[in-house]
Amino acid sequence: MAMRGLTVFIADIRNCRVRELEEKRINKEMANIRTKFKEGSLSGYDKKKYVCKLLYMYILGWDIDFGHMEAVNLISSPKYSEKQIGYLGITLLMHENSDLVRLVVNSIRKDLDDNNEIHNCLALHAIANIGGREMAESLASDVHRLLVSPNSKSFVKKKAALTMLRLFRKHPDVIPAPDWAERITNIIDDYDLGVCLSVTSLITALAQQYPEAFMMVIPKAIMRLHKIIVERDFSADYVYYKIPIPWLQVKLLRLLQYFPPTEDTNMSEMLHNVLQTIINNSQETPRNVQHNNAQNAILFEAINLAIHLDCESEIVRQATNILARFILSKETNVRYLGLETMAHLAAVTDELDEIKKHEETIILSLRDKDISVRRRGLDLLYSMCDVSNAKTIVSELIRYLHIADYALREEMVLKIAIMTEKYATEHSWYVDVILQLISSAGDHVGEEVWYRVVQIVTNHENLQEYSAKMVLHYMRSPHCHENMLKVGGYILGEYGHLIANLPGASPIEQFNTLHARFGLCSLATRALLLSTYIKFINLFPEIKGAILAVFNQYRHVLDAELQQRACEYMAIATMPTDDLLQTVCEEMPQFPERESALLSRLNEKSGQTEDKRTWNIGGKDSNDKTPANLLAAKERGENASVDDLVAGVGGVTINGDGEAGEPNGAAQAPAPAPAPAKTGLSWKDQLAPGSEKWYNHLRDGADGVLYEDSILQIGIKSEYHGHLGRLAIYFGNKTHTQLNSFAVTVDAPEGLVIASSHTLATSIGPSTQIQQLYSLECQQIVTDVPMIRISYHAGSTQSVVLRLPVLLSRFIEPIQLASADFFGRWKQIGGPPREVQEVIKAPGKIDLEKARAALVSHRLGICENVDPKPGNFVATGVLNTSMSGKVGCLLRLEPNRDTNMYRLTVRTTSDVVSKHLKEILQTALLFNPQSR
Amino acid sequence: MPINYVLLVSRQGKTRLAKWFTTMGPKEKSKIVKDVTQLVLSRRTKMCNFLEYKDTKVIYRRYASLFFITGVDPQDNELITLEIIHRYVEILDRYFGNVCELDLIFNFHRAYFILDELLIAGEMQESSKVKPLQVIHEQDAAEVEEANEEKNK
Repeated sequence: MAMRGLTVFIADIRNCRVRELEEKRINKEMANIRTKFKEGSLSGYDKKKYVCKLLYMYILGWDIDFGHMEAVNLISSPKYSEKQIGYLGITLLMHENSDLVRLVVNSIRKDLDDNNEIHNCLALHAIANIGGREMAESLASDVHRLLVSPNSKSFVKKKAALTMLRLFRKHPDVIPAPDWAERITNIIDDYDLGVCLSVTSLITALAQQYPEAFMMVIPKAIMRLHKIIVERDFSADYVYYKIPIPWLQVKLLRLLQYFPPTEDTNMSEMLHNVLQTIINNSQETPRNVQHNNAQNAILFEAINLAIHLDCESEIVRQATNILARFILSKETNVRYLGLETMAHLAAVTDELDEIKKHEETIILSLRDKDISVRRRGLDLLYSMCDVSNAKTIVSELIRYLHIADYALREEMVLKIAIMTEKYATEHSWYVDVILQLISSAGDHVGEEVWYRVVQIVTNHENLQEYSAKMVLHYMRSPHCHENMLKVGGYILGEYGHLIANLPGASPIEQFNTLHARFGLCSLATRALLLSTYIKFINLFPEIKGAILAVFNQYRHVLDAELQQRACEYMAIATMPTDDLLQTVCEEMPQFPERESALLSRLNEKSGQTEDKRTWNIGGKDSNDKTPANLLAAKERGENASVDDLVAGVGGVTINGDGEAGEPNGAAQAPAPAPAPAKTGLSWKDQLAPGSEKWYNHLRDGADGVLYEDSILQIGIKSEYHGHLGRLAIYFGNKTHTQLNSFAVTVDAPEGLVIASSHTLATSIGPSTQIQQLYSLECQQIVTDVPMIRISYHAGSTQSVVLRLPVLLSRFIEPIQLASADFFGRWKQIGGPPREVQEVIKAPGKIDLEKARAALVSHRLGICENVDPKPGNFVATGVLNTSMSGKVGCLLRLEPNRDTNMYRLTVRTTSDVVSKHLKEILQTALLFNPQSR
Repeated sequence: MPINYVLLVSRQGKTRLAKWFTTMGPKEKSKIVKDVTQLVLSRRTKMCNFLEYKDTKVIYRRYASLFFITGVDPQDNELITLEIIHRYVEILDRYFGNVCELDLIFNFHRAYFILDELLIAGEMQESSKVKPLQVIHEQDAAEVEEANEEKNK
């Protein structure tokens, strides 16, 4: 129903021909509304009308700082139209951290629970539009309920799925995605294509974060695509200009790009069929714009997927031909997308020949009328560059640089610098190009470009003379950019002497060339040049006089930095001997090899739950870290460590169970333990009640049961060698039904690395046991034990949090020392803080055997006949860490039978270890298994 | 592949609708509106419908006196986003009956409600033309009923 007052107001505003009049009208209205609101007792209709007026002013760009409360009130109105405006009001006017969020959370929950679905929908919209943390925490489970409940209508489900997506993007930690994975994934089979579309969007986001938990979506996505594209089975409602639901097709094709190619031959055949059909369908160009766009949208996504699956396949070859046609198209959109997709192909394939055939067309695209197309052309040239065509491409780009858009130049310079460095076959070419770049596009050359030149010249001896010659040449040209002066100053200061015998490059001529521009440059450059001059004094004593004059002059300059340099350099240069000068000005050592700062600048990282890139612009090596590749590497890691077990290779062999071998580095590195699902509560607060008793039994290194309840039994087995260890955890399902959505996450303290060697099953069959292997590495001294969280679905979702008995003492290797050695070291370590002593009351009668067992179980070697008094224990061991080295551990344990006390003295080379080891042993000595 | 924002801008550069799917401060928003509006208005007709703005991609299409503009992530599928815009325009057109800029000015709240039925969290929730219209008509019916009740009191 139209609101007359609102219409009149909008018409009024539209009649204001000048801004002043508009402002006057707005101010009048604001004052009016303020009074009305203050008076209170407005009818729902009036409130709605005034809020609407405020919103209109807001859209026009005026600041609205009141009316929020009225919008909040409208939300709880029983009338739909008022509620609707209230919700619109808060979504436009309120931001997520506003205090008002608290006020609306309850109204929203009430609407979520309402039996009237259109109220549910309003509430879902509000959550999706505001999406603050408070809302996420208090309402996420309600949204989930609406999504998975069989009673929810389709149009509610769609909204719930996307609302959850929004909450996940903002606050990934609030959504226990792995626990919900299975039920969410199942909805993708929904008959309603709209529901399928929304859920696919949700899964695409979740799967990037938890790829393993969502693996099961792969066959579902492929089958859905097959059904729509090959079997042509879909509801007519969803046909868009003759194309069945193009949005879903694109989504599904994109989703599959976040996973490694499926290994199921049946599935991959189906998928191949899908892709081939899409390619075949696109042989004709439809007349209708919408039809054509939708068809191409799918085609480009299909090509991207095909490239992801296997960039040398027959389908990709066919696609390359289509792309070649596209980059010549008259339609700008198609040219743009053709170049973009070709850049994707060039970025991942080894086979650049097909693309190189079109080099000329691509270079021409740099001269396209549309900057968007020119950018894509640049990206493609950058991606397709290799040793064979680098020179052509680089010289084309430099030529184009002069006429390129301002906005493009900096990026171009960066890319040219990277390509030149990467594909240079002759050093002189590298120097030529970079210097040319600096001299012709100096303003767009970032600092990192010239830093890199200095690094490279310093590290390549055969470049130094040539570079010195060239910088001198460039600095003499009339338009010498300041950046050139910086490089030149640095290089001549280091390597000027290499060319001092050449005509025109004598010391004084070098100095004059630099100094001619000295007065014109910035303070930073002048400071740099002063350093060059002091180096000159060292290299060329004959020009010392001229340089001292400059220092002298600059001792009185206002700038503190310049003045300080001048004074210090002056002092060094006028010392009676040259010793200090020579030491200070010694030739720079080579730079350690590091990743080029240029590349890191180019690949700036994207945020956490934004969609990850499925590929990056640039050569093949820029594409090893895409999500699907990481996942694939993880899977390869799994195979590698299986091989290890069979072959029994590897540096360190650990005895026991016939499992051997340290997982090799390659397998371990890309397989980090699954990220623990961080929740607001710390895990320590959630320890399973009663789990202490099992843990205490295992503290001393035994294998056995870690936890047991009516559903689950968990046992562990472990072995250690040096700083490495292996831990097998067994999970037994004691019930007669399957446990679903089974997931295990490990939270290791810093310094302890725990990697699982294979993907864990996501379910446990009835009365079945499964095993999970972990490799452990102690990198640093760790005083906490790792925690493990097991979650599963049995009627409802259950979770158990436990401590793993991986104590620091596990990484000790026992050693035996003779008496003299022992006391020698004992003295060496000395008293506190590296010594810790404690008198301990024994729990029962003193039992020497038990005490001995306690020491041995913590991997200490008992040294016999060291302590003169029989019955006293002396024990030693070495704690191993991979990054903080070894720590020697010595201790004495003196039992006193009369008082039933132990005196424990621990000395180690680290005070942290002394303290911690004492605590471990103290607990071990106090532990009484009978008290169970 | 979310849409980050939808803007409706007149040829004179006046904002007719602005819908944000990501959280941003008011300053950031008005900067984007200003910059993107300027970029889009300066494009010529033969140029493509895509352009880059900072680290995002802008996809737009002009319908009579109005520019429909969306901001997306750089790797999003451009054409399919373009067709989301078109679907929105089609639904507006069907609802208002040959929609024009004035309809959207006087019924700006309806333009928002219809957009809510098409996009949530920047993702397409419903691609059929019929279903969003059904929901909107249901809403209108609820409103009419309430108004009638009011009268009969």
